[in-house]
Amino acid sequence: MSYKCPVCIKVSSSAMDLARHMIGRGDKIHKDWISSKGFKYSELLALQFKSFGGEGYKALSEVLEKETKTKD
Amino acid sequence: MSKYSVIGKRVHRVDGPEKVTGSAKYTFDIVLPNMLYGKVLRSPHPHAKILKIDTRKAEKLIGVKAVVTGKDTPGHKQGIWRRFPELCDEEILCRQKVRYIGDAVAAVAAIDEDTAEEALDLIEVEYEPLSAVFDPLEAIKEEAPQIHDGVDLNINITRHIEWGDVDEAFKKCDHIREDQFKCCSQAHVCMETHDAVASFDYSGKLTMWTSTQSSYYIQRLLADMLDLREGDIRVIKPPTGGGFGSKFELDSAQFCAAVLSMKLCKPVKIVLTREEEFTATKRRTPMYYFVKLGAKRDGTMLAKEVRVITEGGAYTAMGATALYLTGFFSSFPYKYPNYRYDGYRAYTNTAPTSAMRGFGAPQSTFVGESQIDMLADDLGIDPIEIRRKNGMTPNYEVPGQAYIQSCGLHQCLDEIEKHIKKRGKLPPNHGIGISAYGFMSGGIFNWFDTPYAFSAALVRINIDGKVDLFTGACDIGQGSDTTLSMICAEELGVRLEDIRIHAADTGICPADLGAWGSRETLMNGNAVKMAAADAKSQIMEFAAAKMGVNITYDLDIKDGWIHIVNRPERGVSYYDIVKEAIRGRDGNVIIGRGHYTPHRKGMISPAYSFGLQAAEVEVDPETGRYKLLNVTTAHESGTVINPIGIEGQLEGAIMMAGGFGFCEDQPMDEGKILNPSIADYKLIRSLDMPETEILEIDTYEPEGPFGAKEAGEGLTNPTAGAIGNAVYKAVGVRINDLPITPEKVFRALREKEKQGKKSK
Repeated sequence: MSYKCPVCIKVSSSAMDLARHMIGRGDKIHKDWISSKGFKYSELLALQFKSFGGEGYKALSEVLEKETKTKD
Repeated sequence: MSKYSVIGKRVHRVDGPEKVTGSAKYTFDIVLPNMLYGKVLRSPHPHAKILKIDTRKAEKLIGVKAVVTGKDTPGHKQGIWRRFPELCDEEILCRQKVRYIGDAVAAVAAIDEDTAEEALDLIEVEYEPLSAVFDPLEAIKEEAPQIHDGVDLNINITRHIEWGDVDEAFKKCDHIREDQFKCCSQAHVCMETHDAVASFDYSGKLTMWTSTQSSYYIQRLLADMLDLREGDIRVIKPPTGGGFGSKFELDSAQFCAAVLSMKLCKPVKIVLTREEEFTATKRRTPMYYFVKLGAKRDGTMLAKEVRVITEGGAYTAMGATALYLTGFFSSFPYKYPNYRYDGYRAYTNTAPTSAMRGFGAPQSTFVGESQIDMLADDLGIDPIEIRRKNGMTPNYEVPGQAYIQSCGLHQCLDEIEKHIKKRGKLPPNHGIGISAYGFMSGGIFNWFDTPYAFSAALVRINIDGKVDLFTGACDIGQGSDTTLSMICAEELGVRLEDIRIHAADTGICPADLGAWGSRETLMNGNAVKMAAADAKSQIMEFAAAKMGVNITYDLDIKDGWIHIVNRPERGVSYYDIVKEAIRGRDGNVIIGRGHYTPHRKGMISPAYSFGLQAAEVEVDPETGRYKLLNVTTAHESGTVINPIGIEGQLEGAIMMAGGFGFCEDQPMDEGKILNPSIADYKLIRSLDMPETEILEIDTYEPEGPFGAKEAGEGLTNPTAGAIGNAVYKAVGVRINDLPITPEKVFRALREKEKQGKKSK
């Protein structure tokens, strides 16, 4: 299985990795996609740095798991 | 007896005589015909809109030749990550907005410095102050002022590193600690402040003499910012009085001198004052650390999770790399099977933070080494033993990140254990703290032009056998000119005094990324060794034909004698052969070329140094004052090229890293640095220096020239952690907030007393 970034060419091996890429990249096109899924980018970031456990990534990865998974 | 003639010898620096006699010409000393002197006007506000800049009065002042503002520039933003425009965020001469006290808004060129200074007072700038934010934990709040447009929560960069299954591993731990730490800022305090002489001529070529760690980067960054071609810019690095990470980005002295010179077609020199050096150049990154560490009862560490929020200051600078390396070195030098790091760099309205000797590792080592001692204490395990149980070993792979070939950490642990035993029972209020560390030998990455780092060198052998070595390496005081000359002499088999090095001049030297990440010995050393070997093979071809030896015999050169390896008495003089070879080639000199790139050597570096440091302190429990008595370091850096060089690096590192742990800081009031002078900024001075000892551990790094690896920055990493652990051992108080000042120790001791009384 691979997970293709919906806005750029990045391919990741898991939805978590792709969530890290999308939040980490943080430019307008990635942020716009995240917003289109009902998330607030700043809230995902805040979730990340306020606690251990990668909660921001986890929240986004659940959506990415459904929407970006492709069979190799 | 050593197999080497030059390597491993105690050699004085090749540039030593001109430096100790005061005859070395630094950028500061350069005077060109018709040269003008520049000064830079800086923002007094931490955050403000620029409404208007009126330069008319300044231009009318007698002696003033030009005044420039951001409008006189192409308006580009600089940044070392040229592929990521959002990380190129610094205009240098601001056009619309200033973001910290010290941001440049205008520059003047005049016939002398006093006139230029007077002209600055005549420039009228109308600002509209904006609300500002100074602490990264405040900057990431929703209601904080936005410092750069479109940057949510002022989060400039995020970095993530993870391997294993951290959450599952924590479930299996017998003991888990969660701790918070705070690391302070630190100034580089180079003896030579940032300076540049720019000379733009009528042919459209710019020449710059500047105090820099990388002529290569400055050439390319200037080209970007000035809309010039790289080939039209020549950057020359004269002797340089220190860099420590502060001098491989384009700075205001370089940029403003170039803009003024291009306007006037005259040379312009700008030397930053000491106050500007403290307030308007980059500095070490302050960090908030949140760390969770889990282990089995026997001390086996199973999982570590790290969250870091760093104070970025107003611009990105080298922040992205520093943030990644902070995460990588937070796992060092241990074999964590499960590890997670999340780093966040927040913009603030303070002077930008960037690279400084250790590149994030001094902070991560202080935090990691403090916490591992705390864990050992909880579990009742000896601090040496817990490090031995978990420490890295040769041929260890950091999952997905790095492959470590040579590693002498365990020998270092043995040596320091012996040292501590030798110190015997300590007097009351004395303590010895230890701290383990590792560091890279140059980054494998490059920020532009090529994905991988590289070094190149040229060796030219002249008719008298003397050798010209051309390299882009930058000797900033660390001694790379000497190290590379030694490597060249050893490989060629000639005397050190036969080598003349020409370095860091983009007009004549092959490109090299410069001095950062402790890269020169390994990366440039490999390039120099290869270039020398190439030249040597050309000499050997001629010598073999001349000597008529049987092809089964190998030839070598040692001490200027070309000989048959198995019969060293049978040979010819290197000098005679070179003379004949070049005559036979119609005067065409022998040129050897060398190049090195760490292709496929992991994500970080091709090699790593390791060590363990023990610091002994004596604490006065009444006042909290403490004295650093002894610092002993067991260090392994592969083959030692020049023992004197390593000793110099170690002493300098203890002074710098001891200062980071003990007294150096940059307190601010509303973004204004309160101690911008050598008088007010507390450094460890010569009289404060502890007794130091180095225990060199013998290892061989297969990737390094003659088995060598770094010995520059790694030594800066352990001292703050060792001091913290030593203070705890001495009086039982733990300070998690750098620097560990006597005042903090005093307060902690009083708090401890209070708690003791309460529990009674």
